[in-house]
Amino acid sequence: MKSAIKTFAAVGAIAGSLVFSGVAQAADTVKVGILHSLSGTMAISETALKDVMLFLIDEQNKKGGLLGKQIEPVVVDPASDWPLFAEKARELIEQEKVDVVFGNWTSVSRKSVLPVFEELNGMLFYPVQYEGEESSRNIFYTGAAPNQQAIPAVEYLMSEEGGSVERWVLAGTDYVYPRTTNKILESFLKSKGVADEDIMINYTPFGHSDWQTIVSDIKNFAAAGKKTAVVSTVNGDANVPFYKELGNQGIKAEDIPVVAFSVGEEELAGIDTEPLVGHLGAWNYFMSVDTPENEDMIAKWHAFIGDDTRVFNDPMEAHYIGFTMWVQAVEQAGTTNIDAVRQAMYGQTAPNLTGGIAVMNTNHHLSKPVLIGEIQEDGQFATVWETDGVVVGDAWSDFLPESAKLTADWTYPWICGNCEKPKYTN
Amino acid sequence: MSVTTRDNVPRLRVVLFSLILSLLALTAPLGPVHAQADDAALRAALSGLNVRSFKDKTAAVEALGVLGDPRAVTALEAMSEGRLYGRKSDETVVIGDRDGRVYTLTDPTTNSVVGEVSSREIKKIIANNKLRGIIRGVLGQLALSSPDPDLRRAAVENVISSPTEASLALLKRARDRETEDNIRARLETGIATLELGDEDPGLRRAAVERLADSNDPEIKSLLERRLLEDNDGTFVESDPEIRAAVQKAVDDINDRLALFGLAEDLIFGISLGSVLLLAAIGLAITFGVMGVINMAHGEMIMLGAYTTFVMQEIFRAIMPAEAFGFYLLASIPAAFFVAAAFGVLIERGCIRFLYGRPLETLLATWGVSLILQQLVRSIFGANNQEVANPDWIAGAISIGGGVSVTVNRVYIVVFCLIVVAALAAFIRYSRFGLQMRAVTQNRGMASAMGIRTGQVDALTFALGSGIAGVAGVALSQVSNVSPNLGQAFIVDSFMVVVFGGVGSLWGTIVGAFGLGIVNKFLEPYAGAILGKVVVLVIIILFIQKRPRGLFALKGRAAEG
Amino acid sequence: MGPISRRLFALESRTGWAAIAILLVIGLFVVPAFNLLVPEGSFFHISTFWVATLGKYLCFAILALALDLIWGYAGILSLGHGAFFGLGGYAMGMYMMRQIGDRGVYGNPDLPDFMVFLNWDSLPWYWWGFDQFWFAALMVLLVPGLLAFVFGWLAFRSRITGVYFSIISQAMVFAFMLAFFRNETGFGGNNGLTDFKDILGFDLSRDTTKVGLYIASAVALLLVYLICRAVVSSKLGRLLIAVRDAESRVRFLGYSVTNAKLFVFTLSAMLAGIAGALYVPQVGIINPGEFAPAKSIEMAIWVAVGGRGTLFGAILGAFSVNGARTYLTGVAPEIWLFFLGALFILVTLVMPQGIVGVYRSIRSGELKDAIRRRLRRADA
Repeated sequence: MKSAIKTFAAVGAIAGSLVFSGVAQAADTVKVGILHSLSGTMAISETALKDVMLFLIDEQNKKGGLLGKQIEPVVVDPASDWPLFAEKARELIEQEKVDVVFGNWTSVSRKSVLPVFEELNGMLFYPVQYEGEESSRNIFYTGAAPNQQAIPAVEYLMSEEGGSVERWVLAGTDYVYPRTTNKILESFLKSKGVADEDIMINYTPFGHSDWQTIVSDIKNFAAAGKKTAVVSTVNGDANVPFYKELGNQGIKAEDIPVVAFSVGEEELAGIDTEPLVGHLGAWNYFMSVDTPENEDMIAKWHAFIGDDTRVFNDPMEAHYIGFTMWVQAVEQAGTTNIDAVRQAMYGQTAPNLTGGIAVMNTNHHLSKPVLIGEIQEDGQFATVWETDGVVVGDAWSDFLPESAKLTADWTYPWICGNCEKPKYTN
Repeated sequence: MSVTTRDNVPRLRVVLFSLILSLLALTAPLGPVHAQADDAALRAALSGLNVRSFKDKTAAVEALGVLGDPRAVTALEAMSEGRLYGRKSDETVVIGDRDGRVYTLTDPTTNSVVGEVSSREIKKIIANNKLRGIIRGVLGQLALSSPDPDLRRAAVENVISSPTEASLALLKRARDRETEDNIRARLETGIATLELGDEDPGLRRAAVERLADSNDPEIKSLLERRLLEDNDGTFVESDPEIRAAVQKAVDDINDRLALFGLAEDLIFGISLGSVLLLAAIGLAITFGVMGVINMAHGEMIMLGAYTTFVMQEIFRAIMPAEAFGFYLLASIPAAFFVAAAFGVLIERGCIRFLYGRPLETLLATWGVSLILQQLVRSIFGANNQEVANPDWIAGAISIGGGVSVTVNRVYIVVFCLIVVAALAAFIRYSRFGLQMRAVTQNRGMASAMGIRTGQVDALTFALGSGIAGVAGVALSQVSNVSPNLGQAFIVDSFMVVVFGGVGSLWGTIVGAFGLGIVNKFLEPYAGAILGKVVVLVIIILFIQKRPRGLFALKGRAAEG
Repeated sequence: MGPISRRLFALESRTGWAAIAILLVIGLFVVPAFNLLVPEGSFFHISTFWVATLGKYLCFAILALALDLIWGYAGILSLGHGAFFGLGGYAMGMYMMRQIGDRGVYGNPDLPDFMVFLNWDSLPWYWWGFDQFWFAALMVLLVPGLLAFVFGWLAFRSRITGVYFSIISQAMVFAFMLAFFRNETGFGGNNGLTDFKDILGFDLSRDTTKVGLYIASAVALLLVYLICRAVVSSKLGRLLIAVRDAESRVRFLGYSVTNAKLFVFTLSAMLAGIAGALYVPQVGIINPGEFAPAKSIEMAIWVAVGGRGTLFGAILGAFSVNGARTYLTGVAPEIWLFFLGALFILVTLVMPQGIVGVYRSIRSGELKDAIRRRLRRADA
């Protein structure tokens, strides 16, 4: 009995020391949380984002830090496990007391941390192109909304230069981003007069590796005589066997071009790109764009990471823009207090690495240019078309009836992420 | 990038390269004076390509087609492949071949080397998809009169796939001159497709008759379009007699295509089954002999795939370019030994101590799989690694009716059958195979007969793992190579083994092909995901009826 | 003391009750008090992060108990318990989704957001009734129970045991994962059910609700523990241990092995469902990832680490492994998987009885004897 109590007491003491939250820490650094999966299925894409954040923080520290203090990165690994994302987000905000979080990739992970950020009034910078239909007070979306990626890509393909495509295959992985994007695209295509039978929609599970049947169906669909294109929202690992099958079945980009929204330089590094030459990608940034800012950034990035075969892609540029804007906002507000920084974020500008200026709008989305590029043999994109100016990110797509009537605007008089009319009217 | 350029030479390039030579031979007698005037004209036409707007580039390409100078072929081909550049210093158009950071420039007009520069001194002339299609048509036109039948065949295909106003006349002229039967037949079909819309009803009728025997879905849809009517009731095909003929042709083709569709499902099912079989056979052996489920089996496959990747890198670095394609063959023994080595390590280090406790072995090997995954992730990174398909494995074989089988899958089926046959022979005829079978049937008796069961176990595990490694070599060609590769195949491998019957090679074969075919037949109706779910439910229910699988081992000892 | 309370008291030894009492005090009183009553800046404040995390661990402990009941005591290694856990979670999730009402993004009072966006115009039949808490609670027990009953009946009747059963259960949970990933199945697809606002009228974002859920989990753990204790101390418990050790013999002795296994498997599934139902409000999301085969395998290691065949071991294992995960994924993310893998190997090779086994062998002096013998052998 006594020894049992002794054991329990010992265990209790250890547990207690872990759980009790410790003395208030001396705030001599500015803490930035980094919430990206370093293991599991998403590690492939997200590890590079963790690396780029460490790079950006290092650069800023070399310039003297922020508000006279050094910036300290706090890296956690939510391991591609969505409930763990929520737990880690809470840990970053409540335990580590970070001033801002840069993180997430999949929409599921973002949806599971959203309540945490709203409850604890945190701030998250989300760098990945996504499906829209969201605008939270506590999240800044530095990736493309559908009207900054999907719609311009389809418009390009419909144009003469893009091949005057008349038949469409919308192929995606079965989850919310492809589903929403395809819904928007279907509505858009119909509004442009495309008939129902000229649209084929298909969904596959994550990691689907046997594409024989589907690619064969695409070939048959395309044999109807009208120029056909594939709009691919296939995500992650499934892209490799998909492109391999396309190449092996002899589908050339001149005949049936495939434009993908989730395939960037990082993903191409792991694919044999020879059969892919000519297929397309649509992003707000390409590593191959020839501007002095881009060259400069890539050189510094290679110096930091010590490996000049590492690529730079759109989500990484999104983090760069988000981080730059956040630093500027903090300096403008003079404090890291979340509410003050948020107010200072509206209207912040940062130079795009591809030229021009990105602006943070009051719906928490950026204004960015749209670039369409063809895959080259070395895994880079060659720009074949770009928008004249910048496109303002639209959180609520005008092509979906239920969201066309919603507006996101976090400044007076709306102060709302999804309202039909302003909260404050005179 | 590596020192040796990746020289996966597509056939078209070889074809067109020899085309230049043959066409140059044809034009040689023209003489120097003409040549100079031609040079100037060609240079002027080529410089039309060095512009920003794609519209202007398209006009320049078509102008080159009209000019008819065969030297334009090299330039156009280079542009299509992204090797055409404009030199910044004098705005001349050159072809650049890259070796590391240095570009060797060739003047297309004279075909001579004009310099070696770095990437900063040249600007790529970019073609987009639309342009490439037009280039293909122009190249076809330029090559229609080549003396080489292979080149002519390729040219005919190019012209038919990207027809222009002039194509019909060109094709007719080519048909009249054509000596080879099969090329002439193809020309006739191509002409027929273009004549479907001719004014003369006699020509149209002949065209329909010509096309009615086809099995090509593209031709079927061309015919179907003749049956369409627009809003005011007028048909595209005005003659009702011809319309009836078209309808009959379409119906006939549809019937034939349905048969081809069934054949296609069967072929896809077999290729899926062969993939499953390769993945599962190693597991069947270890489970059969030792009664342990090796959860690290998927990681053995993954190690085989990574060995292939390493082999590829080695070949790229130290082997001459022509030998590159053989890295796949070299990977097979390498992967076998690497995976077998890991297998022996796992068996000696871990499984040996867990005999008679299959559930613990399951858990322990799961732990091993986690460690192996993380190990590979730490060494190679979490990303996919690029494994190129060597030339002789790329492409597809067309069987007609729109059905084509990719070459890599054909190789995998053949490879799989070879592996299974070799394994069956080994088990049946070798001494070790005899010992393995003895231990599978009755461990106690085998041991009493003097067989060292411990050694048999270790070597069996090595064999099973080695085969999994070899499977990884094959799977690296159809799947992506990442640390998660094993996870994708582990559940499927189990299903095959449990369904087919433990310890039975025949069971695994039948199980794998059966499941593959059923899956592929379900897929058009239920979709990929639901199809898989249905297959899983079928297996679960099947196991109720026959708990030991299809080809179960009988006997008291098999109860375990 | 009446007969029932005497029976209840007899379930546990004196030491056992003392341990339970201490843990109850800490769990039910100390933690909530130090979270709600002690101000934030002070050293003794227990943050809401820890309340939520401990609540999660408590749910995992219930799940581990459920698995230990069938594995440690009946020898059935189910590698598909994630299915029951997930189904219970989805049932609770569906209730909370219905509670959102028109506060969703699209403002539809009847349909959850994901259905609006899939263009469905009415609620599918399998969502009816989930706007009532009692119905959802019933489903939490009934659906996993029914699945377990059917699956178990099919399996045990055909004498499927051991490794075969484990693999079949993996197939089952894998099929569920695939099915629930499909958006057409009507459970939110890959995103799952999320964005919950409140449960039984209590706002989920408030601290008091979180503490309330935590207390509910602790009480549930206690009740589940007592239920399991009752089962294993009864005659049925003895029968199960016999089945675990020598199934054929028990069958030949005339007992209905199938019925015994079926009963305990169904009970275990219902307990797992309860764990899932308490888990979902605390993490705020349920998605098909819970059906991942890998997660179901990991549950087995919690039980193995703690000590299977001992109820307390299951709880201990759940807390220690998940605690290690929280710690390592924060401090040294790259080595977490190495650690977990090594844990699997270590526990099966060296510590087959888990931590409790090691503790017991230390206490009884066995370990010291074993070490002494080893050293003596090494010297000789």
